[in-house]
Amino acid sequence: MPATASGGARPEEAAASASPPSPTASYCMGTRPEELTARLAAAAGGRPVGGGGGGRGGGGGGGEEEGEHERVRTLREIKNQIIGNRTKKLQYLRLGAVPAVVAALAGPGASPAALVQAAAAAGSFACGVDDGVRAVLAAGAVAHLTRLLAHPDEKVVDASARALRMIYQSKLAPKFDVNNNEKNMEFLLTLLNSENENVTELAANIISHSCDSTTEQLALCAAGVPQRLVNHFGGSMNLRDACLDSLTAIIRNNWEVASRFALLDHGKALRSIVALIHDRSPRTRLLACLCLIALSHASPCHFQDRQIKTKLILVLLELIEEPGHVGDDAPLALTTLIKDSVELQKQALSTNAVQKLSNHLIANSLESRRAVTILLALAELCSKLEESRSQLMSVQASTLILDALKHASVDIRVAACSCLKNISRSSKVLSAGKLSCDTFIAPLVQLLYDSSMSVQVAALGAICNIAVNLTPRKSILLQSGAISQLVHLSKSMDPTLRLKAVWALRNIMFLLNPKDKDFILKELTLSTLSSLICDSEHFVQEQTLALVHNLVDGYVNSFNYVIGEDGMILNAISRQLNNAPAPGVCIQGMFVLANVAAGGELNKEAVMNILVPRRADRVKQSFIVNFLLSKDKQLRVATLWCVLNLIYPKCEASSVRVVRLQNAGVISQVKGMINDPCLDCKLRVRMVLEHCLDNADDGFM
Amino acid sequence: MFLSRIVLRDLDSIDSPAASMASSKKLVTRDEWERKLRDVKIRKEDMNRLVMNFLVTEGFVDAADKFRVESGTQPDIDLATITDRMEVKRAVQSGNVQEAIEKINDLNPTILDTNPQLYFHLQQQKLIELIRAGKINEALEFAQEELAPRGEENQVFLEEIEKTVALLVFEDIKNCPYGELLDVSQRLKTASEVNAAILTSQSHEKDPKLPSLLKMLIWTQNQLDEKAAYPRINNFSTAALEDPAI
Repeated sequence: MPATASGGARPEEAAASASPPSPTASYCMGTRPEELTARLAAAAGGRPVGGGGGGRGGGGGGGEEEGEHERVRTLREIKNQIIGNRTKKLQYLRLGAVPAVVAALAGPGASPAALVQAAAAAGSFACGVDDGVRAVLAAGAVAHLTRLLAHPDEKVVDASARALRMIYQSKLAPKFDVNNNEKNMEFLLTLLNSENENVTELAANIISHSCDSTTEQLALCAAGVPQRLVNHFGGSMNLRDACLDSLTAIIRNNWEVASRFALLDHGKALRSIVALIHDRSPRTRLLACLCLIALSHASPCHFQDRQIKTKLILVLLELIEEPGHVGDDAPLALTTLIKDSVELQKQALSTNAVQKLSNHLIANSLESRRAVTILLALAELCSKLEESRSQLMSVQASTLILDALKHASVDIRVAACSCLKNISRSSKVLSAGKLSCDTFIAPLVQLLYDSSMSVQVAALGAICNIAVNLTPRKSILLQSGAISQLVHLSKSMDPTLRLKAVWALRNIMFLLNPKDKDFILKELTLSTLSSLICDSEHFVQEQTLALVHNLVDGYVNSFNYVIGEDGMILNAISRQLNNAPAPGVCIQGMFVLANVAAGGELNKEAVMNILVPRRADRVKQSFIVNFLLSKDKQLRVATLWCVLNLIYPKCEASSVRVVRLQNAGVISQVKGMINDPCLDCKLRVRMVLEHCLDNADDGFM
Repeated sequence: MFLSRIVLRDLDSIDSPAASMASSKKLVTRDEWERKLRDVKIRKEDMNRLVMNFLVTEGFVDAADKFRVESGTQPDIDLATITDRMEVKRAVQSGNVQEAIEKINDLNPTILDTNPQLYFHLQQQKLIELIRAGKINEALEFAQEELAPRGEENQVFLEEIEKTVALLVFEDIKNCPYGELLDVSQRLKTASEVNAAILTSQSHEKDPKLPSLLKMLIWTQNQLDEKAAYPRINNFSTAALEDPAI
């Protein structure tokens, strides 16, 4: 089928079928995606057929050339339509154009012009659209493009390297295995040594994309890759940036590689990176900072120079003013740098970091990714330092956080909650009542109803902390309608939401007045409480028991809840303790029992029946003996407190309980703990044994 | 960079006496000033590199080539790429946006794929050109098919589209509220954005160094004004020193 014939027929067909809605001529002159795709597919599939049927003398060669020319034009048209245009990419993907484009890379006799256009189109399909990456990979583009890196035409090499770089930018691209594959390593080194900067940049991109295991990092280090990357710093700006990025990937979290790099070339390599944090290009400055941060985290001992870290903080704070990705990512780099280090956070604070960051937020709108990253950096600065918290609670900044809580963007709401969570770690801020007012509580509670789960989780985190020290002002939280939503969230399908909701309730319950405890319990109901005790996740069980612990703490009437309703709660606790679950659950469970046992006779009997059941299965030892044998000292202490409360005060009933405990082997176990390594345990052991003696004396008299 | 350092060093040297004299400004005579200026050695090659950097960045390819031959200064970029870049720029300036897009893609297909804002501004310019040419149906179709999806992806883009499409509503579009979109300055704005993106993709700084040096000179003179009276440069096209007003 000669291309000219079909090409001539198509516009008419198209015009006939689409004449009413499409009046403009330009749209049906063979540039519609459907047509281009069909033409490309025909060219790919039709070539051999055309060759076989092209027996019309000299015309065959001319047709071939014309066909190739047509193909280049089609590929170029497709390329120009899809570059930058997501909609068009998706449209071509639906039409199945990608295999035909990639097939154009495979032809042995393909002209350089066709190869350049096909490579560019394939690369563009792999940019920005996940389905595009998948289609390009499935069509086998990587192998073809890699082969073309050795093509004699430099333009083909450039185009292929660029296309591969686009592909390797995606997380979906396969890892380039340098660890178990010597050939791959060799190939990568050839690319790194190439004269063509597009190819060297590709090598650096491949390393950034693929290097994530310790063994890979060591293999690349052993092959001398770090030195080669540093040697490329003298190249173009883009190459240098790519090399810095892949160096960071090789060093990250790897002590051995990082320390070897620090000593490389008598520290010259390291110094060259330090020099780059003052480079003219902001992007280079950021990448150099990231590389140094990775180095300092991987190998702190080779990176004790405090001055460099101070410089890093200053450079990063400056970079926040840069437009684009650099300014967006600078706060994230700062967050990574100061994470978990009080010292660096102090340094950052002394360079006015909190003020600079919040000023930037105040001066610009909240409408960007930068607002998110800045809020997260502020949250980190407030994670440990009191001074940061009080600075951020200044009038202007706190108004901004309030705005952020109500912002339309999910990420900004989450980041604002993180700030509040960390600010509310401060007992000073809390006791000053700055957060426990309606201004902050109302929007936070509103976020518990958010449609995004990550916002709900973040808001719960902040409410948890604010609830801890709210003692005189808890009524605000109770009146805000938070309780019913917390109860609702505690029944969520998602374990994290359940955990955080129960946690918040636990903190609200802490030292609460009896009236309010009753109120919460009425909302929560005993049946929900007992099913939370038996939750599928042990961390939820633990928090629920801690909630019960706070409920029964110092409030006599609340015992009724625990032993009332046929002892629903106590039964649930008993079931959990007998199943010997996670240590945290056992500890909280024993604290609940200890608190219950501090009550009247009825309570003590109820606890006794859990610890030493009347119709005990003789074969099975009581869990309490195992708890006393536990390696966890907190569990031993909790258990000893429980025993102590059961046999106190001195009375006849207590003597009976001593005997029951003795028969169950509990007392002899306690006797064996007289030299417990934990002082607290040792003291409680002595107290238990003294009370046993007292009660026994009574019994013998 | 070096020029500013030199000027600042000068500032330092006269700074201390001025400070000791508290309120009154130090007076620097023309002779004294010129003597100081003569002491400052600026390497000719550095000056030449600054000039070359300006010519290359601004795209004066013929001038750059002549300057290369005459001064022996090597440009830090292949002069052929300047020609390509200038063709793209010219295409935008003369309203041939599609031609510009295709040329950019031939130059480096990753530029527009990794720079959504630039791609959008080119598409917007294309719409403006359609409206300018009075191709209303085509403009509407283009706005619906090509621009509307970009607006769905990005709020800022959406507002820009709304402004541009609003041009279709007015009879006298030159004088409507968004008439400036039809102005030459809009084309120049888009063209310079294109120029900057191509330069960045070629690892070249997107702004020439000379204008920022000039800015630094102005800043430095302003700083100096508070401390001293000296022969100032007021006319930057002649760079003539003017006697201090006493």
